[in-house]
Amino acid sequence: MTVILVSSDNQDFKVDKEVAERSILIKNMLEDVGESDSPIPLPNVTSAVLTKVIEYCEHHRNDPVQVPEETDDPRKRSNDIEEWDMKFMQVDQEMLFEIILAANYLDIKPLLDVGCKTVANIIKGKTPEEIRKAFNIVNDFTPEEEAQIKKENEWAEDR
Amino acid sequence: MASKNLASQPPPHGSDINATWGFLEQGIDQIMNRLEDGLTYKRYMEIYTVIYNYCTTKAAPDGMSASIQTRGATLGGSDLYSHLIRYFQKHLEETRKDSEKFMDVSLLEFYTKQWVKFTGASTYVHHLFTYLNRHWVKREIDEGRKTVHDVGTLALVSWKDSLFSHVERNVMAAVLQLIERQRNGEGVETSLLRNVVESFVSLGLDENDSKKTTLEVYRQYFEKPFIAATEVYYKMESEKFLSENSVTEYMKKAEVRLAEEESRVQMYLHASTHKPLIQNCETVLVKGHTEIIWEEFQNLLNQDKQEDLYRMFSLLLRIPNGLDPLRARFEAHVRKAGLSAIEKIADESTETLEPKVYVDALLEVHKKYNDLVQTAFRGEAGFVASLDKACREFVNRNKICKSSTSKSPEQLARYCDSLLRKSSKNPEENDLEEILNSIMTVFKYVEDKDVFQKFYSKMLAKRLVNDTSASEDAEAGMISRLKEACGFEYTSKLQRMFTDMGLSKELNDAFRDKMAQNHDAADSTVDFSILVLGTASWPLQAPTTSFNLPDDVVKTYERFQAFYQAKHSGRKLNWLFQLSKADLKTNYIKSSKTGYSFQTSTYQMGILLQYNTGVSYSLEELQTQTNLNPDILSGALGILVKAKVLLLGNGENVGDALTRYDLNMDFKSKKIRVNLNLPLKSEQKVETEETHKTIEEDRKLLMQAAIVRIMKTRKVMKHVALMNEVITQLQTRFKPRVPDIKKCIDVLLEKEYIERVEGQKDMFSYVA
Repeated sequence: MTVILVSSDNQDFKVDKEVAERSILIKNMLEDVGESDSPIPLPNVTSAVLTKVIEYCEHHRNDPVQVPEETDDPRKRSNDIEEWDMKFMQVDQEMLFEIILAANYLDIKPLLDVGCKTVANIIKGKTPEEIRKAFNIVNDFTPEEEAQIKKENEWAEDR
Repeated sequence: MASKNLASQPPPHGSDINATWGFLEQGIDQIMNRLEDGLTYKRYMEIYTVIYNYCTTKAAPDGMSASIQTRGATLGGSDLYSHLIRYFQKHLEETRKDSEKFMDVSLLEFYTKQWVKFTGASTYVHHLFTYLNRHWVKREIDEGRKTVHDVGTLALVSWKDSLFSHVERNVMAAVLQLIERQRNGEGVETSLLRNVVESFVSLGLDENDSKKTTLEVYRQYFEKPFIAATEVYYKMESEKFLSENSVTEYMKKAEVRLAEEESRVQMYLHASTHKPLIQNCETVLVKGHTEIIWEEFQNLLNQDKQEDLYRMFSLLLRIPNGLDPLRARFEAHVRKAGLSAIEKIADESTETLEPKVYVDALLEVHKKYNDLVQTAFRGEAGFVASLDKACREFVNRNKICKSSTSKSPEQLARYCDSLLRKSSKNPEENDLEEILNSIMTVFKYVEDKDVFQKFYSKMLAKRLVNDTSASEDAEAGMISRLKEACGFEYTSKLQRMFTDMGLSKELNDAFRDKMAQNHDAADSTVDFSILVLGTASWPLQAPTTSFNLPDDVVKTYERFQAFYQAKHSGRKLNWLFQLSKADLKTNYIKSSKTGYSFQTSTYQMGILLQYNTGVSYSLEELQTQTNLNPDILSGALGILVKAKVLLLGNGENVGDALTRYDLNMDFKSKKIRVNLNLPLKSEQKVETEETHKTIEEDRKLLMQAAIVRIMKTRKVMKHVALMNEVITQLQTRFKPRVPDIKKCIDVLLEKEYIERVEGQKDMFSYVA
C-alpha cells in the first residue's frame, strides 16, 4: 500500500503507507477519511524538505510507535542522538530549521526532538557573541540592559 | 461573512480569526452534519493547515485579535477554542430541539443515532485540531485551567452540558420501559440499550485528568434508577408469584430470573453493574422470602427432592447466613432418620441383634445423607459438619445403646469379627475391602473408641488362638486402617499380637528339633504345639479353676517348661488351659474300626483320659482326679453326656451327687471327627459383661494417668481447667464423664500425687 504525498511546489512523492504514517497527521487522516488513491497535499512542506523528511521516515519505518504519554525528562539530554540521525542532521542551518518546522507540522515527534537537540548542541559551549554569530542575530540590547541580564544570570556562569 | 463560496476560495493564511473561523466553520459543519458525503484528503489537509497556520503565525500587536500578547513566543488559540465551544453548543441545541419530537423507543433511536454520529465526527475534529491540542490546550491545562479540555473531550463535555443534561430523564425513562418490556418477555432491540450505556459511560469525565474516565455519570444517571426499577419490578413479581404458586415453583422462577439478569449484564450493561444488580436481585428474590423458603426445606427433605434441594441450596448460598437454619434442620432430620432406623431394627429383632444388621442400618442412613450432601449441597463444609454431628449423635445414642454408648463400638467390633473369622459366608476380597472401609465410616463417629479396641483385641485374640482368622491380609488391612484413624498407639498391642504368633511358630519348630535330638520318637507320644503370648498385649485371663494335668501329657509339659526357661530365664509361663484344646483318638469303640477322633477342650481331655483306667466314675471321683472346680467340671461333662460319649447312670441330671458317668462303648457318629469343644452360652455372656467392666477400670487408669501427666507439666492448675484438659486429651478414645474425673482426682489426692493449694479454692498442685 502506497500513498502519494504532494509538496507545496507540486511534486509527487510515492511512499509506503507505513512510512507516511510516521507522521501522526497523515496516520490520523488515513484512519479518519479512509484509504483512497487521491494524492495528499502538504501545502506547508517544500519538495526539498519533504525529500529529507521521507528519508528520515524510511530509515525509522520500523521503530516502535511512540507512546503519546508524556514521559519527557525535564533535563532532556542532547547527547543521545543516534549516529544515523546525527549524520542525517548534518545539513545547512536553513535546512535544519525547515526540517524542524516540517516535523512540527506533520507531527513527527522523534524527528522534532532530534532537530531541537541538534540546535541545542550548536548553542552548547558558545558565548552569547558566538551564538549571535552562529545564528546571524543582531544584538538589540543596550549596554545597560546587557549588564543587567549578565548580573541576573551570574549564578549560572561556568567558572 | 461566511458564505457558501468560501469553500472554493483559497484557505486563509494568517492570524485573522474571522477569516480563519469563517473557513473552519464550513469544514466542521460538513463533518458534523454531512460526513456521510465524505471528505477529501485535500479538504482535510486544508483545514488542518489553516489551524496550524493560525496557531503559528504571530498576531500583529495592533491586530484584531483579542489575545493578549506577551513577550516571546505566543501560543495563540483561545479565540479558536471559544468559537469551537460556541459551535458545539449551537449544534447540540439544535439536536436537542429535534429530540423533543421523540418519545420512548423512538427517542432512544434518535439519541443513539445522534450519539454515534456525534462521537464519530468529534474524532475527526479532535484530530484536525491536533495542533491546537498539542500546544495551546496543553499549555492551558499545564497551567491548571480546569475548564479547558482537548477538543475530543470538549465535544463530550458539550454533549453532556448542552444535550445530555436536558434529555437524560426522558432517555432513562425510555430505557427502563424497554428493559421492563424485555423482562416481560418481549423481544427488544438491545443494541439501543447498549449504545445508551456506552454513551453514559463515555460521559464520565475525570475533572482532574481529561485522559481518564470515571463511571460517575453512568452510576448516577443509569445504574441508580435502573437498580431501583429492578427492585420494584422483582418485589412485585415475586410477591405475586408466591401468592399463586408453590415455593418449589418460585425457586425455579427465581433461578431463571437471576440467570437472566446475569446475561443482561453481558448483553448491554457495564460490567461494574454486575455486582450491585445481582446483589439487589438476590436481596429481593431470595432474602425477601427466606422464611417461606426455609419452611419448605423439611418437606423437600421428607420427599427426598434432590433437585429442588440443590436449587434451594444454591439460592440461599447467595445471601449471607441463608444456609444456617438449613444446616440446623438438616442435622435434626438426619439424627431423627438415624434414630428411627435403629428403632425399627431394635423392634424387629426380638432376640439377639445381628451386628451386621445394626451396622448396616447405621451405614444406610449415613450413605443416604452423605450422598445428599455431596449432590444437593455440593459437599459444602457446613452441611458436612451437620451430617457428622448428626451421625455422631445417632451412632452413640440410640435405642440399642440406650443403656450405654459402648454398645455401638461393641457391635462394630463384633461385625468385624464376623467378617474376619473363617466362615462360609466370608465376602469376596473386593467386597470385604469395601465393607471394612464403610466400617471405618461408622468407627469415625464412635465416641468410645477404647471399647471398640477392647472388643476388637479380644476377638482378634480368639481368632488367632483358635486359628480361625480368614485372611492375614484382611487382618493387616483392618489394623492399618485403625492405625490411620487413631494413631500408632491405638494398634500397637494388636500388632504385637501378630508378632507373638510368628515367634510362637519359630518356638514350636525349635522345641520340636530339640525333642527329636534328645528323645526317641517312641518317647514322645503326644503331638504338641504351643502359643507363647505376652501378657501385656493379649487380653487373656488366667484360668478360673485349678487343674490336674493328666499323666499322659505331664512329661511334655515339663519338657517344654524346662526348654523355655532355659531359653528365657526370668520369664514366667502361665498356662491358659481354658483356651487350649486337644485331639483324642478312640480305640475302645467296637463299631468303628478306625476309631473316632474327638476334638476336646483341655478339661474334657482331663476327664476323658481318666477312662483309660476305668469305665465308670462318680462326680466326686472325677473331681478329685481332675481337680476342676464343680462348675467347669459339670459344664464339660454336660457336653460329653449330650454327645453321648458318656452315659448317665444312676441319675437323671448332670451334676447330681449320685450320678455316675459311664463310658459309652457303643458310641456312634456319622462323622469320624467329633467336635466336643463347644463354647458354653453362659460363658459368652459373662465374658461380654466382664469386658465392659474392665473398660471401666481401664478408663479410671487412663484418666488418672492423664491427670498426673497434665499436673506434672503444669505444676499448678485450676479445677475447671484441669477437667477440660483431661477431656481434650482423652476424647479421641472416649468421652470422660465429669463425676468420674472428680473421683479420679480424689483418688490421686489420697495417693498424694497432687494436693490442694492452701488458701485457694479449687486449685491443685503437683507433688513431686
